[in-house]
Order: sequence, then structure tokens, then C-alpha cells
Amino acid sequence: MRLPDSVTGSFLVVLGAAAAYGGWILPPVPGQPVGPNVFPLVIGCGLALCGLAIVFGIGHSFEEEEALVPMEDGQAAAPPPQGKLYGLRALLPPALLLFYVVAADRLGFIITAAIMVYVTSTALGARWKLALPLAALSPFAIHLIFGKLLRVPLPAGLLPAPW
Amino acid sequence: MLKTLIDAFALISTWEVIIAMFAASVYGLVIGSLPGLSATMATALLVPVTFYLSPIAAIATIVAASSMAIFSGDIPGALLRIPGTPASAAYADEAYAMTRKGQAELALGAGVWFSAVGGIAGVLSLMILAPPLAEIALSFSTFEYFWLALLGLMCATLVARSSPVKAIAGMFIGLLVACIGIENPGGVPRFTFGLTDLFGGIEPIPALVGVFAVAQVMRAMLTPEPPPLPRRKFGSIMAGQWKLTKLYHWQMTRGNIVGIIIGVLPGAGADMAAWVSYAMSKRFSKEPEKFGTGHVEGLVEAGASNNASIASGWVPSLLFGIPGDTIAAIAIGVLYMKGLNPGPTLFTEKASSMYAIYLMFIIANIMMIPLGIAMIRVAAYILLAPRSAIMPIIMLCCAVGSFAIGNNMFGVVTVAAFGVIGYVMEANGYPVAAMVLGIVMGTMVEQAFVTSLIKSDGSILPFFERPVAAILAAMAIGALLWPVMVWVWRKVKPAQPAAATSR
Repeated sequence: MRLPDSVTGSFLVVLGAAAAYGGWILPPVPGQPVGPNVFPLVIGCGLALCGLAIVFGIGHSFEEEEALVPMEDGQAAAPPPQGKLYGLRALLPPALLLFYVVAADRLGFIITAAIMVYVTSTALGARWKLALPLAALSPFAIHLIFGKLLRVPLPAGLLPAPW
Repeated sequence: MLKTLIDAFALISTWEVIIAMFAASVYGLVIGSLPGLSATMATALLVPVTFYLSPIAAIATIVAASSMAIFSGDIPGALLRIPGTPASAAYADEAYAMTRKGQAELALGAGVWFSAVGGIAGVLSLMILAPPLAEIALSFSTFEYFWLALLGLMCATLVARSSPVKAIAGMFIGLLVACIGIENPGGVPRFTFGLTDLFGGIEPIPALVGVFAVAQVMRAMLTPEPPPLPRRKFGSIMAGQWKLTKLYHWQMTRGNIVGIIIGVLPGAGADMAAWVSYAMSKRFSKEPEKFGTGHVEGLVEAGASNNASIASGWVPSLLFGIPGDTIAAIAIGVLYMKGLNPGPTLFTEKASSMYAIYLMFIIANIMMIPLGIAMIRVAAYILLAPRSAIMPIIMLCCAVGSFAIGNNMFGVVTVAAFGVIGYVMEANGYPVAAMVLGIVMGTMVEQAFVTSLIKSDGSILPFFERPVAAILAAMAIGALLWPVMVWVWRKVKPAQPAAATSR
């Protein structure tokens, strides 16, 4: 998800301006010259300035291109397929976390966790021979550590843990 | 003094601390040795567990896990040419070249031995530097704290291996995140958008877990799996290390010192220490032509350096609450939660706890030698675990751990959000370490800034009136202007090849 500097820079300008404005409209503390509004104002202005500098490419010359370590003996890994949807795979982990937030209370920890593990594992190329046992066992292990030993109140939902 | 030391011994010689340290060591060794899982991530995922431990045991786990993880990152670096942690990246090629020459034992042994020595040197620096600095820090007012915090933030942008403008932008984003909530000088809800979950602000720990752990899983989704480790028999690992110590004692000392200095600088941690020390070793070596062909000298210096920086990173963290590196940033969060609020008074009021921290660092680094050797011998089996089995577990730990911090689901949302933020920033060359520093230090910077402004009645002059404040101000402004000067210098002398000026 490499975006051009002009895009990220412009985004920072907008974010900075919004922060500065948001700070500006905060109510001042009566009888006090500086209140909660000063700091966001300073930061927002700074951020907007940085964004401008990035848009105009200032400081770009400092960047070092990350040297990719080539593999030895010609066993170079095949370049990953570069389809349009391929890049979206990166969004799977946060999406699963949000799924956990929505589903955990209703389905319970064990079931939600098993789904998360199965999907992540398959997405990383595991066969069902690995992904299924992993999805079946790891939620119980995690529940044992966090729920039982550390007393984190994990939701029971449809399938409570056996302890 | 003696009594404090005895108290400290009493604090750490409980079963809880001993078991916690041992378990955290093994955990750190395993996580550090798995490519793609960094020492910072290992520490961040430990935090939810530390809630349920006593303060000393909680710190013990962090100390042990971080020290071990930095060493064990050398293992896949030497055997696979894939560094286990970024801190080992500087010399992974060199170590791999040694393995190809049939000297894997020597390379890994040097990793264990000089890591342990470096770690102990780091603790000594912490023991020697921290108390006198605490003395000085006791007389600091908000003006000094403001400049110190600013200097810390600027250092983080200076040492970032990317554009300083982007680093500063990253820092501002972090500070902006710290603005969220009602914990501000006016006590009004700020940037909460009417969401009650945001009133308490963004907790640094879920943000860190998101940036370091979730973002890593996201990257794994798009990168090919590293090849499995070829199984091999190792000879004696420690043989020849004493000879190396005598031969390269000067390189080792230099590595220790560089590591300590870089560790103390806010934002710069073990990875930076290793890069700088490896480069220095090559620059000052009598036989620089051997570097890159499997020469142990650079390994000695860089290995001694990255572990030294781990302990010395705690100096500014304990004294001022300014993290020396990203691991220390997490440690600060834990210190606050455990009632050991960082500050100079920590060294007078909680002296025995401080001594306990020193002792734990020393013990962890001694334990590293036997545990490290054992780890090298079993590494081939651990590295057989495919990524598709490890990453799902990491995901579960992220979800459960972030939930456990406040026992509410908002923590999980925070982790997911910061995973995306961290991923996008990293992909576009914005250093996430700068943002992390901003998040951790934001409240402190604002407090120092606003209190100073109120005291000075809106005038700028008092910010420079006190002598220490003036010095710190000069340094902070110098740090801010440094990239500008380098930039101007390059514009004036375009003939200069870029490689000569870039560090």
C-alpha cells in the first residue's frame, strides 16, 4: 500500500488543519490564558506544515530504500501475485479483530476465536490439516491461560469453556 | 545502601519472580528467534499478563523477555540469513557468511557471549548514570521538562532511518493521539466526537500492540513464507569465545559504549545500536576487507552493542518517563500501572525496587548464556513451526490481551485501528517509533508546556532563563535545525555523493 508522497502529505495537511480547528473551537478555561486549546493548535499547525513539506518533497533525499535481501542459490521466492484484490488481504487481520468485537459476546470466545484462527491460518496458506486442529485447540489453550489463570472475563456465549 | 541491596534481594527471591523470569526468558527466546516477530512485539504482548503479577515480577518479565529476544534474533540471522528481530539485521549477512564457512558455532556463540557481556555493561551504565542524573533532575522545573521532552522527541526523529520530515510528522500524529480524551488542562472532552469510549483517551498499550503486532500480521499476509531451517549438528558453542574476548576486547568495549549512548537517546534502540556499531567496526577495523566474508569482528561489536542499549534505554525512562526505545516505552506503561511512576524520586523513595531492577537485568544476562545455548540447539525444531500456525495465535493474543487491559471491547477496536495506522505508516516510510514516542510522551509534553506557559503568563522568555533550560533549549532547537542544515549543505555541494553524507 505504497501511496505517493503527495497523497499522504495532503492527508496530513487536512488532518493538521482539522486538529488545529478542533483545538481552536474548544472552550477556554475562564480566567486562564492557556487551556486545552493551545496544544492541539500547535500540533495541528506543525502537522500541516510537515504535510506541506512532504507534498513538496522536502527531505525526500534522506530516505533510504529498504534493501531487500536476495535469496542465495537462485531459490528466489516467486513474486507474489499482484492482483488488484491481493493488497486487500492485508486488511484481513483488523477485519477479524472487528469481527471479534461484534461477535464475541453473542457466539462466545471459543467459537469466535476458532473462526479467527481458521481464517488467518488459511489466508497464510495453511492446509485444512493444520488449520482445523489449530482452530479447534488454540482457543482452549488461550482460554486456559487468560480466562482461567489470569481471570480475564472472556464471554462464554454459545459454547462455554469446560472449566 | 547495604540494607537496600538486601531488600532488593528479598524482593526478587520469591517464587513468583523466579518463575516469571524463567518463563519470560523462554518466551523471549522463542519469539525473538521467529522471523517477523520482534522484541518489541514480544514485550507488548506480555503486558496483559503483567497485570496479574506483582510489580517486581511484572518488570522481571519485561526485562527478561526483551534481553533474550534481542539475542535470539541472531539465530535465524546466522542460520537462514533472515534476522529474527530488526536488531540483528545489521549483521545477518555476516553471520550467515560464517555459517556457510562452517563457523556457525562461532557466530552463534559470539552472539550469546557478547550479548550477555553487552547486557551487563548496559546495566552498569544504568547503575552508574541514573542516581547522579536523578540528583540533577530533582531541581528540574516544568521548563526543563518541556525542553527535555522536546529534545527526546527530536532525537527520535533524527535517528530515524527515513526522511526527518516524515519522522516529525509521525511524532505529531502520536502527540495528536495523546490529545484525545478529557485528561487535559481544561478537563473538557477533546476530540472525543461524542464517544464515551474516547473520554479516557487512547491507552498507549493497545496502540503499541496494534502498531507492532497486528501490523506485522498484516505484512505477513502479503509476504512469502521464509524457508524452513536446515537441521544441523552443532559443536561446542562457547569454545573460542574467551579467545575472541581477548582478541577483540577493544571492539567489545567500543560496542558497549556506543550501545549505551544510543540506548539512552530517546527513540533509538537496539536496531540502531547494531547498525551504528557494525558500521563503526568496519570503519576502524585493521582488516576491513574481511567484512562481509564471514568475519567475526563486526559481530562482536554489534552484538555487544545491541544488548547494551536495552538496559541503558531504561535510564531516561526511569528518570523522566521519556522512553529510550520502543521496549522502554512499553515498560513505562507498566511502571505507571504498577505505581512505580517514573521520576527522579523513584531512586530515593523506591530505591530497593530500583536495585531489584538492576539485579534482574544482571541475572537475566547471566541466564542468557545457558538458556541461549539450549535455544541454539533446539532452534531447528522451533523454526519448523510454519507462520500459518504462529500468526493466528498472535492474533488471538492481540484480541484477548487488548480486551484484558480495560476489560472492554474498545481496546480491541483500538488495536485494530492502530494495526491499520501502523501498517500504512510503515509502508509509506513514516517511522512508527516516532509516533509511539509521541503517544507515550504526549500527556507529559502538554502538561509541561501548558504549565510553563501559565507560569510565564504567556511569555516565551522564561523558557530560556534558567541555565539548564537554556542548554536543553539550545540542544532541542539544534536537533530541529540539523536536518535543515544537512539539506542546505547538500544543495550547496551537489557534487558530494549522497552516500558520504547519509550518516
